[in-house]
Amino acid sequence: MPFHHCFRRALVPMISSMIVVGIAGCGGGSGGGEASGGGEGGSGGTLTVLAASSLTDAFGELGETFEEQNPGVEVRQSFESSSTLLAQIQQGAPADVFASASEEEMDTAVEDSLVAGEPEVFVKNREVIMVPRDNPANIQEFQDVAKPGVRLVLAQGDVPAADYAVEILGKANSEYGSGFKQDVLSNIVSREADVRASVNRVVVGDADATFGYASDYTPDIRDRVAVIQIPPDLNIIATYPVAALKDAEDPELAREWVELVTSEEGQRVLEKWNFEPAA
Amino acid sequence: MSGLFGRGDGIASGLAVGALALLAGFISLPLLSLIIWTASEGSWRAMASPVAIDALLLSARTTTVTMAILILIGTPAAYVLARADFPGNRVLNTLVDVPVVLPPSAAGIGLLLAFGRFGLVGEPLFSVFGFTITFTTVAVVMAEVFVAAPFYVRQAATGFGAVNRGIEEAALVDGAGRATVFFRITIPLAFPALVAGAMTAWARALGEFGATIIFAGSFRGVTQTIPLAIFAEFQSNIDAAVALSVLVLGFAFVVILTVRYLTKRATQYES
Repeated sequence: MPFHHCFRRALVPMISSMIVVGIAGCGGGSGGGEASGGGEGGSGGTLTVLAASSLTDAFGELGETFEEQNPGVEVRQSFESSSTLLAQIQQGAPADVFASASEEEMDTAVEDSLVAGEPEVFVKNREVIMVPRDNPANIQEFQDVAKPGVRLVLAQGDVPAADYAVEILGKANSEYGSGFKQDVLSNIVSREADVRASVNRVVVGDADATFGYASDYTPDIRDRVAVIQIPPDLNIIATYPVAALKDAEDPELAREWVELVTSEEGQRVLEKWNFEPAA
Repeated sequence: MSGLFGRGDGIASGLAVGALALLAGFISLPLLSLIIWTASEGSWRAMASPVAIDALLLSARTTTVTMAILILIGTPAAYVLARADFPGNRVLNTLVDVPVVLPPSAAGIGLLLAFGRFGLVGEPLFSVFGFTITFTTVAVVMAEVFVAAPFYVRQAATGFGAVNRGIEEAALVDGAGRATVFFRITIPLAFPALVAGAMTAWARALGEFGATIIFAGSFRGVTQTIPLAIFAEFQSNIDAAVALSVLVLGFAFVVILTVRYLTKRATQYES
């Protein structure tokens, strides 16, 4: 029974990967229909937000806020790795807003002229190591992830959370010896589609450890997962930019979303979900 | 057409032909797009990238083991399902078909709950032997066997059911043993069906994605089969993802042609 929840969590990112084109397609179609049929004061329509999977909970909550503030508007969100979302935007998936867990993906989107206006860094996030509560590999501190036999799971290459992790390991080499990074990387047993999927491997208990964000340590996994801090001098702070997209169906709504996210109210929700303020 | 439809059925036959053209176009457009992309981007070489080769070799290895298991276990199982009359036969027949209708992602979750580190079987396995199946190549094979088994067993059972029992009985009367009759008469007569079933099951195992990524994870050379490699590459290198898709497309094409050829031979044999 306790499995029920975490499996749902594990399933969602995987299924969503397969149906994202469907979601985006529906968003475009029904948005047009509602816009023409609506007109009760509000702007109506649909706002499609593509956001890094670490934003799942915080943006989920902000989506409800946005719908309350804009009656008749439906917020559709797709949470995946920033690299997947970028690929989808490049392939022309209809979307209004892109929120990335890394400036790299956003920079590419800007270079490809997919973004309207300037992206705004709205939040920061710290990397942590997560282990199952019963800690089968007995990981007590950061350098323990290099112990032989640790079943380490990481998001796949190009996913910001994984890129940051590799960067941290590179920095750690100078502190723990030149073989440290290689020892850790050789412990990897699976590369997951995004950071939430890799955290779920720890929640389910099949992995001994993973790298995730502080914000991924959500209340509903706290009874199953423990956090090991990464020494601050080695850690990397992820910066999250958000931007309205050039092909947004409703640029006004897209701008309003960016405003909400950077507003005091938005920042409060993000902090509640363990993000750190951008400023 | 005139043989199929009588006079005055021109509209009906036109509609039917149109439907076929629509279907053919719908199926061939994505396939063509894959090839056009690969050609225009000149990314054929991505088919020979280390990721592609590792994935291809792993897919070849795991599907071969899967087929060996299916043939060894699925053939006698199909024979019993087709021939033996026992209580529960219909229930078992239905059970064997369930993986066909079960979404592979659900199958993956089921496998994880049963064989994962904290699964019904996985937990004792881990506490006694310190061994966990998830994230190993064994997990890939298990996922493939789970989803592909019905395709082989169903075809094989149908094949065994269609064998003329008079021939078998005649051989028994002539003094042949049961095992001899099975291997010398039943198997050869059902052979086209067995091969066709094996081909379909192999194609299904080759394309397996959902159960594998959930139960086995994804790691190059260990659990990252071709479909998983395509999914992973899509995030970083779309050219490679497309090239891998073309590779698998060519493979699927060969398999389907073979199956069609065999099915044709089987029906010719019947008549």
